[in-house]
Amino acid sequence: MPTIFVLDVPEFEPLVAQARSQSGVTVTEGPSGYWRIASDTELVFGRKALGFKPAVWYGALTGGLVGRVAEFGRDTLRITGA
Amino acid sequence: MSTPISAPLNGVHHTARPTWKLRETIEFYRDKLGLPLVHAISARGWPDGHPDFLHFFFDSGNGSTIAFFYYIGTERPDYTKPVASHFYGATHTAWQVQDAADLDKWRQRLEQVGVPLRYETRHEIIESLYFTDPNGYPLEVTYQLRPMNQLDADDALRTMDAAMALEDARDPAVFKGIDDVWQRKGAALLKEVV
Repeated sequence: MPTIFVLDVPEFEPLVAQARSQSGVTVTEGPSGYWRIASDTELVFGRKALGFKPAVWYGALTGGLVGRVAEFGRDTLRITGA
Repeated sequence: MSTPISAPLNGVHHTARPTWKLRETIEFYRDKLGLPLVHAISARGWPDGHPDFLHFFFDSGNGSTIAFFYYIGTERPDYTKPVASHFYGATHTAWQVQDAADLDKWRQRLEQVGVPLRYETRHEIIESLYFTDPNGYPLEVTYQLRPMNQLDADDALRTMDAAMALEDARDPAVFKGIDDVWQRKGAALLKEVV
């Protein structure tokens, strides 16, 4: 199950909001200080919709990753299972 | 080893670098950037083999200075010359301003005095302007968007612990890219919740 951890700080909050708006994606709290975003299939994020500048976009997975980056382009990040 | 005594620091007094462009350096920092020249040492070279020199300081706010050495009668060695490399640019000075309004004043001032911006960008917790001094030294003016807190520190430790463990493997196949750090950190976090 592809999963990312997102530190609970304002600059990464759009990842949590975008995940919550997607069906099949779960957002849970924990460990303390992190959001855990997971999907049964794959996780997909769009940079423009997140409002991320490149410096934040290309560090979007700094919270931690369980799975594999299948695509990390200028606007699309796609994560699949290991 | 017994626990070392607590030895506090109180911010930056100065950082220093050599210059072979005396007038250009003073005109850039004092006149273009507006940093007051606040101290200058002029001395015979000591100990043996040290050229006569000038060591001068510009006030960069909040008790900090940026300083230069001018070694009289010397040629700039190739190894000090700027090169187009991330490795060279990694060594830089970043000055802090209070807010976005002051950063905008710097944007305007640099344009007024004819200092070209190399780029500007918003990072996770800072927003910065980047430019270069006459010596080729990279400079940055930045403001911090929010204070760093304990979450940031704990997260930094998790990131760097993962990265150090990968470095310890001494195997390029193990530490290929940043995904390896993200995955190692993610695996550790997952263990805490399942």
